[in-house]
Amino acid sequence: MTGPRLLRLYAAGRRVPLALLSTAVCATGLRIALLRHWDAYGALQLPLIFEAAAAVSVTATAASPFGEPERVAGRLLPYLRAAVTVALTAAAVGLLTAAGTGGHLSGGTLDVLRNVAGITGIGLLCAAVLGGGLSWTGPTGYLVAAVYALYTQWHPPVLATPWLWPARPPHDLGGALCAGLLFGCGLAAVTVRGARDRIGDPAAA
Amino acid sequence: MTAATAAPAAGRTRPTAGRAGQAALAGLRMLRLELRHNAMAWLLPVAIGLFWLTTYRRDMAGPPLWNLRAAGLQTGSVLDFAVPVTGAAAWMASREARHRVTDQVTVTARPRWVRLLAVWAATTVWAMAAYLGCLAVLYGVTAHQVGWGGPLWWPAAVAGASVPAFSALGFAVGTLLPSRFTAPSAAIAAFFLLALSTDLINGSHSAWQIAPIVTGPWDQGPAGGVATFYPFAPDLSIAQVMFLAGITLALLAALALPAGSAGRRVRAAAAGLVCTALLAAGAAVGLASTGTMNAQGVIDIPALHNAAEDRPIRFTPVCSHTAIPVCLNPAYSGYLSVTADALAPLLDQLAGLPSAPTRLLQEAVTFRQDSGNEVEIRPAGPGIGGAAGSASFVLPVQFPGPSRTPAQLAGQLVGAYAPDLVARVVEDRAGASQAQNAVARALLTAAGLHDPADASAAGNGPPTGGPDAGPWPVVTPGTPAYAASERFAALPEAARHAWLVRNLAALRAGRITPEQLP
Amino acid sequence: MNIEIDGLTRCFGSVEAVAGVDLKAGPGVFGLLGPNGAGKTSLLRMMATAVPPSSGRLRLLGRDPGGYGPRREIRRRLGYLPQNPGHYPGFTVAEYVEYVALLKEVPPARIRAAVATAIERVELGDRRKSRMRTLSGGMLRRAGIAQAIVNEPELLLLDEPTAGLDPEQRVAFRTLLRDLGQRATVVVSTHLVEDVAAACAQVALMDRGRIVFHGTPDGLAARGAGQHAGDTPIERGYSAVLAQARS
Repeated sequence: MTGPRLLRLYAAGRRVPLALLSTAVCATGLRIALLRHWDAYGALQLPLIFEAAAAVSVTATAASPFGEPERVAGRLLPYLRAAVTVALTAAAVGLLTAAGTGGHLSGGTLDVLRNVAGITGIGLLCAAVLGGGLSWTGPTGYLVAAVYALYTQWHPPVLATPWLWPARPPHDLGGALCAGLLFGCGLAAVTVRGARDRIGDPAAA
Repeated sequence: MTAATAAPAAGRTRPTAGRAGQAALAGLRMLRLELRHNAMAWLLPVAIGLFWLTTYRRDMAGPPLWNLRAAGLQTGSVLDFAVPVTGAAAWMASREARHRVTDQVTVTARPRWVRLLAVWAATTVWAMAAYLGCLAVLYGVTAHQVGWGGPLWWPAAVAGASVPAFSALGFAVGTLLPSRFTAPSAAIAAFFLLALSTDLINGSHSAWQIAPIVTGPWDQGPAGGVATFYPFAPDLSIAQVMFLAGITLALLAALALPAGSAGRRVRAAAAGLVCTALLAAGAAVGLASTGTMNAQGVIDIPALHNAAEDRPIRFTPVCSHTAIPVCLNPAYSGYLSVTADALAPLLDQLAGLPSAPTRLLQEAVTFRQDSGNEVEIRPAGPGIGGAAGSASFVLPVQFPGPSRTPAQLAGQLVGAYAPDLVARVVEDRAGASQAQNAVARALLTAAGLHDPADASAAGNGPPTGGPDAGPWPVVTPGTPAYAASERFAALPEAARHAWLVRNLAALRAGRITPEQLP
Repeated sequence: MNIEIDGLTRCFGSVEAVAGVDLKAGPGVFGLLGPNGAGKTSLLRMMATAVPPSSGRLRLLGRDPGGYGPRREIRRRLGYLPQNPGHYPGFTVAEYVEYVALLKEVPPARIRAAVATAIERVELGDRRKSRMRTLSGGMLRRAGIAQAIVNEPELLLLDEPTAGLDPEQRVAFRTLLRDLGQRATVVVSTHLVEDVAAACAQVALMDRGRIVFHGTPDGLAARGAGQHAGDTPIERGYSAVLAQARS
């Protein structure tokens, strides 16, 4: 019983329920958006916005409210960080995919998986470098760049780098590798050392 | 700890003399402190990087025209700066709660709204400084590339006004909901709002045109033909600035509304300001909904429109030294050499012929709103077949569309105008004789163009087809007219020209047969 | 009287943190003692105008803090160190104190000197350019005291000011308290009764939201005669009064 109890307490401290709620709101928003008919550009752009919103909800849980006392509390912390991050990412992908089922979700499940994982990876890396509270800075900046990359498919000069994978087809291997690599690096960074918190910084709200 | 120190008497009595000056000085000191510790400063690389990637690169890839650069600046930089500044403002607004200093700062004398305003101002100053820097670079580079006209400041003002507006929006949200989810949610919601608002635009009457990324008829996109022959009409920009200023003031004044934030008089004034500002923003939305696209391709709002902006700009055209001069509006002077080089082989053949134009003059385009978001763009003047003397034409860059290489531009231009130009000279209209068709085709092929109907010529020479290509004379291979056309095209240029000078009148009258062609 | 309190209460939901307190205090150092949860911090927060009372009458520096104008006037002359003072980690000590001075509306021309003096008084002069995040717990507490005294307050409220200070600093702090008490009313809420014995002219002991003793430290010590709980006379008095109040 200790394991589940610890996981529950860890999740509560990281505001995981609120993150899940936020992800559910994103999925609902996507569902509502898909009820409307969008042009090709809007149909690609809108899911990406909701995917980025879900990804920042996941990365916002990286901030620790306890700081050092938690860091020195035992060997289970890395496992907890990894488990919660992976579970939340999976939940975000699942909820967004479910929201798109039956609607005209451009790119489909593969696109959702690649985008959510990749943007979450960027957020996790930001959390490791800048701190959990500022984990959103990278994903929101990336969102603007990615939406622009989508735009350049119709308006040259085209941005076709795989690092801007939302502008590439869902089955594109380069884009998938870049997204996967960022997610892997972000997850590893947050698992091993957690979000950066500086001595004297009060905990994240 | 030191007990006996002669401490200065601080703030015992409220200063009466120079109170405003003291308040200003204190405000500046607070701003200086906040500037040193503002999250927006750390987000500047993100904003500037986005500006480079999505605005500067795109603008520089397009033609060096002030109108296009200004439109690109407005649309791009609003998105580039809105997202980071909204997030940073929301983050800074929740600072007191995150750092648990609420009690310490609550029990100080300075009103809460002044304290918050300093934080907002610092966030905005950083973002605005970065925006102005980006603007200076973009317009500075453009000024070096463009030889005529001047920068359009209204689009830059709209983008500038959006910085404090989105900062105020993020700040208000962060003040209301200080949580780790607030800043990212606010930043993404701001982006979503901007993206969504344009999708709801339907025609030029839409109130959604108030969105600050809109620079004109939305689905048309930036068109090079806008605001070069006519002044830029800033009607929509004025409404957008009014809207953004109203939203900014309303959100900032709302900070003083909660009980305890300020004195009764200040709160009453703030309430009045909120109402006034919201009314102004609402009026701006109403004004935008009365807009219609005018013939110059800009949104014309009757209540804001200045009739003087409908008068064409006077200019002295820049002309080439070709056999028939090609004259352009000086705003497009960068295209003169490519235009002249593309047309020169044909113009050399036509120069001096009785019905040849004395010069080719660039003309304006006119815009007309079709159903939905469709916009029809066409030359304003009579075109090549116009009055005797000069002929008018339109450069492809005057239409919306992707940027073109000089080769693409030349091909498009020649394809569009060469057949009409030749048709004008030899009177190759409907019902023309076979000889007229043969001569017209010969002149075009002699100028290096290839008959799109001639499959064997595909892939050689500049492209002459495409949606804008003019109609080629119909000369069927294997017929006497085709043989005559090939024969006439193979003549030396001087011989061909001499024959035309002698026989053009008879040819135009239909009295020449293909067999009579040399 | 700088502090006049009659029948003051403060409720947080169904919990009555302060249950009818009467208190008057003029210039001098006033000690507020009591066990955890006695209501000291709630009383101090009301006196600091951080939270309004639920009922009762509160006058500070001759003014009613219920109105915005008088409250602002009180706040100009007030210094407050919360129990868990927050700070902005990126600020230097000087910036932190300057920021609070600006918020307290210290005239701009005097701010530089006021900040320097406050920092010197807590012996942080050599760390004035250090960022707050680099300070130790005791230094943070001293920086907190500096921000509280930067405006030379007439009413100074200190909640656990000596927590985290080393013995040498505590002794120095008591000297500072006595000096400040010459001109201002200083209310010190603490668990450390020896601080009260050393620095306070008046002391009140709170328990369960009420004041169960109000007098001098000597008077409190005298109440402990015959008690065995505690190492010093005042600690024995503290225990005796609490035991009597709870019996």
